[in-house]
Amino acid sequence: MSKGRSINQNALPDALPNFRNLGVALRILLISNGLALLQALLQANAWADVPQRMMQIAALLTPILLSSLLLLWVAQPRLHRLSYWRGALAVNAVAVVMTLAIYAFGGDLYRPISGDDESFEVTRYALLGAMVCSILLLYFRLRTRGLSRALDDARLQVLRARIRPHFLFNTINAVLGIVRTRPDQAETALEDMADLFRMAMSSEQDLVTVGQEIRLTKQYVALEQLRMGNRLRVDWQIRDVPDDALIPPLLLQPLLENAVYHGIEQLTQGGCINIELCRSGDDLKLKVENPCPLRAEASHHGNKVALRNIRERLDLLFDVEARYQVESGKDFYRVEIVLPYIRERRVTREMSS
Amino acid sequence: MSVAEQALRVFIVDDEPPARNRLRDLLHDCTDQLALEVVGEAGNGQEALDRLMETPADVVLLDIRMPQMDGIELAQHLQKLPKPPVIVFTTAYDDSAIKAFELHAIDYLLKPIRMGRLFEALNRARATVPVQTVVLRELLPEPRRNLSIHERGKIRLVPIEQVLYLRAEMKYITVRTVEREYLLEESLTDLEKEFTARFVRIHRNCLVAKDAISGFEKGGEDSSESAGWMVKLKGLNELLAISRRQQHIVKEFS
Repeated sequence: MSKGRSINQNALPDALPNFRNLGVALRILLISNGLALLQALLQANAWADVPQRMMQIAALLTPILLSSLLLLWVAQPRLHRLSYWRGALAVNAVAVVMTLAIYAFGGDLYRPISGDDESFEVTRYALLGAMVCSILLLYFRLRTRGLSRALDDARLQVLRARIRPHFLFNTINAVLGIVRTRPDQAETALEDMADLFRMAMSSEQDLVTVGQEIRLTKQYVALEQLRMGNRLRVDWQIRDVPDDALIPPLLLQPLLENAVYHGIEQLTQGGCINIELCRSGDDLKLKVENPCPLRAEASHHGNKVALRNIRERLDLLFDVEARYQVESGKDFYRVEIVLPYIRERRVTREMSS
Repeated sequence: MSVAEQALRVFIVDDEPPARNRLRDLLHDCTDQLALEVVGEAGNGQEALDRLMETPADVVLLDIRMPQMDGIELAQHLQKLPKPPVIVFTTAYDDSAIKAFELHAIDYLLKPIRMGRLFEALNRARATVPVQTVVLRELLPEPRRNLSIHERGKIRLVPIEQVLYLRAEMKYITVRTVEREYLLEESLTDLEKEFTARFVRIHRNCLVAKDAISGFEKGGEDSSESAGWMVKLKGLNELLAISRRQQHIVKEFS
């Protein structure tokens, strides 16, 4: 297994969850408290007893959870350099140590059930901590597996969507159409096509820099402009976006392809696609808007595949930290994506280690 | 001069300039072996129809996927020309259409287009009978965007969204827009089937555009209780009678 090669470890089937992700933290809190509720239900004698039991458990559980999460947040970069099983062991150790620490030094408040046998109590808490932790790790592993399969499917579909036969054959036909009169332009077109297809066919799931993605998208636009001439216009608005910001590859280009296929190509006079990229705080915002033919029923049935793939990839990579919005108007179509702003520095350091 | 010696007149329709370029190059290559002449080209359906009315062609190489009016709709309108040309469709990729073409023996060329295939298609063209409009209509899953009207030897396209109502009179259909009326030779039943999403039948001989209905009015002459409702139209001072059997639409649309 390649460890720590990419920063989106979530994409690898056997990888620890990213403890710096808000979604991961929320899931841990929810599941742990769910287990606590289960325990409270098992122990209680009457309905009225349940909240009290729950309170007792939560009094011990909450500080353990929060302190463990904090520790894991700090240790995140180191954890991801370990192999999966070592990492899992380390996470378990953190959970057990924190459980015992809170139990030992937390005072009476954190000892909900006081027994006489001290060694039994200690062993019991250590075991409970390890078990809850293992259940959580198992859950994340299964979740990643599930999403990874979706990712594999998605990649195939994205591939097919990218090499939309329509695009491939029309572009080859267009290149043949200019090869006699403008051979140098035909050469550039073939080079652009090679770059685009290389990226689409690459099995690497690493993030790429915004600069790379913009370059690739511009090559794509050049190919489409070869066919459509000045019917296709693109307005780039890039504000405050550092070139080293990282995004999933082929995030922007499929949005453009949709805008061309369903929008500009359907308009006799063509139109202008507006692309906006900007950074606000810890977020990276991406917006693609295109005009489309006036239709009474604003439906876009054809482009669902590409959009669903993008959504699945965002879910897998960023969980709740990425947002995604589509607005389909009478004569326009707009997609907005917000992702966490990640810089390249972290990756290069991890890759060199 | 005999028919066989006359140069084949070819017309190109494609919305992409390089695709038209490519066809021109290939047609030029064919001239060594086949007498042909490129009589014109067009980038969209309306332009193609206008040019072909002026300069007739024997064969039209017609791209399927075009904005506004696709190739299959244009082919239907071209059938109304005095001497309909043979249509050879060109397409980059369209599974369903290709199956239908083969079923109906309609010639087509796949992009990127090869000279050999083009040559074959042109050679066959002289012997080919023009495609029937009925077949073309089957190929087109969506309704046409225009009606094509014969008028003084010309073909005029009337965008379907401009039509207020269609009324059968004798052997013609009256097509009414805000500006004027046109006469169309088609069957009202077929039109109703094709444009069912846009029009509603208010009478045995009349379909009204749903969007054009501005209200309803009780007609004075009819004394019977249930009859006598009339449709008021947007932008046109004319009332249309609703037949007794269609009275229910008053409730549905008011």
